[in-house]
Amino acid sequence: MAQHLPPATLKAARRGFAAAVGAANCFFGEDDQHAYSDKFAIDDSRHVPLGAVAPLTTEEVQAVVRVAAQYHIPLWPISRGKNLGYGSAAPVLAGSVIVDLSRMKKIEVDLANGTVLLEPGVGFYDLYDYLQTHKIPLWLSVPGNSWGSVIGNALDRGVGYTPYGENTSKLCGMEVVLADGSIVRTGMGAMTGSKTWQLYRYGFGPAWDQMFVQSNLGIVTKAGMWLMPEPESVMGMDLEFDSPDDLGPLIDTLGPLRREGLLQQSPTIGNWLRAAAIVTRRTDWTDKPGALGDDVIAAIRKKFGMGWWGVSLRLYGREGVNKAAYAVLESAMNALKPMVLKPTKWTRGEPHEQSGWFGVPLTFPMQNANWHGGRGGHIGFSPVLPQSGAQAQAQFKRTYARYKEFGMDYQASFAFGERHLINVNAVLINKDDDAMMQRVDPFLRALIADARSQGYGEYRTHLDYMDTVMGSYDFGGNALRKLNERVKNALDPLGIIAPGKSGIWPANRAKERGK
Amino acid sequence: MKRPLPLAAAALLLPAATAALAGQGTPTPTDGKALFREKCAMCHGPNGMGTGLLDRRVQPALLEERTDLTADYVIQAARTGIGNMPAIPRGEASDAQLKAIADYLGRGK
Repeated sequence: MAQHLPPATLKAARRGFAAAVGAANCFFGEDDQHAYSDKFAIDDSRHVPLGAVAPLTTEEVQAVVRVAAQYHIPLWPISRGKNLGYGSAAPVLAGSVIVDLSRMKKIEVDLANGTVLLEPGVGFYDLYDYLQTHKIPLWLSVPGNSWGSVIGNALDRGVGYTPYGENTSKLCGMEVVLADGSIVRTGMGAMTGSKTWQLYRYGFGPAWDQMFVQSNLGIVTKAGMWLMPEPESVMGMDLEFDSPDDLGPLIDTLGPLRREGLLQQSPTIGNWLRAAAIVTRRTDWTDKPGALGDDVIAAIRKKFGMGWWGVSLRLYGREGVNKAAYAVLESAMNALKPMVLKPTKWTRGEPHEQSGWFGVPLTFPMQNANWHGGRGGHIGFSPVLPQSGAQAQAQFKRTYARYKEFGMDYQASFAFGERHLINVNAVLINKDDDAMMQRVDPFLRALIADARSQGYGEYRTHLDYMDTVMGSYDFGGNALRKLNERVKNALDPLGIIAPGKSGIWPANRAKERGK
Repeated sequence: MKRPLPLAAAALLLPAATAALAGQGTPTPTDGKALFREKCAMCHGPNGMGTGLLDRRVQPALLEERTDLTADYVIQAARTGIGNMPAIPRGEASDAQLKAIADYLGRGK
């Protein structure tokens, strides 16, 4: 339900925001509401913000929070607002004021230690260009959509494709504005003049960094990240597998190599559509509604030489070590009889491959939004699974059947972590197809329920499903949610910072849960 | 990250979009070319999403090579979004910055 303020209160609050950040950085027009909404929303009428304010400094963020507290206005902080598939810039609670941090773009690199201290507005392209311009031999870990913020991605537990790919685990020390307008620095940054803020994650006593991840307990205004030193060599292979049934054996072969540490990068096994949706459109192949038939899938795969599943593996480090590891990897993969095994090799000094495996930012994968030919998009459904071939194969079959039942085209991947898999489904939608859009929400709710019944929870979700997903974490009568909300109410009793984020509602807005 | 494809392979060899002034602060609002590189080139440079999608409908696909764009059209497209492109909010590109970008892209008209 949208928040409605009395006109006099709103007018006074806008004066307060203008005093905090400057009138030129307050955006409350109808176009602004549209610009900060979710381009990929299932229902465009939900999650519409009141407007936005764009502070430039931590002090201005503090001032914004104090104005919001004075007038009881909910805020929704964004770093760059490019969380496409999960809600973009839009708030859970309609009528919230977006705190757009995209003007905060400071970068401080510590070359000797391979770390960087960033403000939230620094995008992957900004940091990449900064490192290139200054010839700094540190590599990024970029997601498939690299339009967004480096620390914003880490704060939503996004992933990349190098050995540093679990981005949230590379956070090291934060500066956070709390709901009372005070500032806290976490880890070693808690010491004034600390020399090790970006070097040791835990500080002394309880470590709070993850408390501010996927959270609404504060606004992160700076964060440290570890960056990967440029390796001497990158070797690997691109593989295609012909059968849907190849998924399980592939996972059971890669899992031990990943856990052993021979493979330090986290591979992602993607189905044919994950690749095809970038380079072609559905309308080029068929005009039949409903899930694609096997004949069309076969024709697309044939044209582009795709397997049903594909995966790219990369080894990073000293060339001699990579060569030894490559031999093990090649032998293991050949035993699975791939339809394609294409070796790749890079040595320091050669031009970078323009890909995520080299930490080079990308946006072209988002071309999948055009799969249906019109106004499209994708919505994420991403349960966490064990690294088990049998269980992943079963999840695939169960999910694929649901796609067919709801007439959707199956696009998914299985992304390795150190001990887990994330089954990322980017459900491709067509906002010009009313009949399809009517099916999308019940489809996603069925997927969430199916996963829950198997004991799988999501690692991240769209605004529309935050309450549902948090509800699925139900041990002890939703004890985790209750703990989160006890902390929320203690730190933010007025409920002004991102109410509803990750299903965490402050007491004064708890009636909004599930709406 | 999507796995590389035969058709994508050529595009992967193209140089990445670069923002020469990115990092500390922002370029001057009057320098449309530098602002384009910082604010737009990730999608509208070589290998970007916008270039890839426009390539299906119009030539040249690179906005910097177009001669038919008007400044008003660029501003309208950016502020409201168009096709698969989301709207660009004013916090990300101010009115002055967007006008400089639009004047740069519309210089052929």
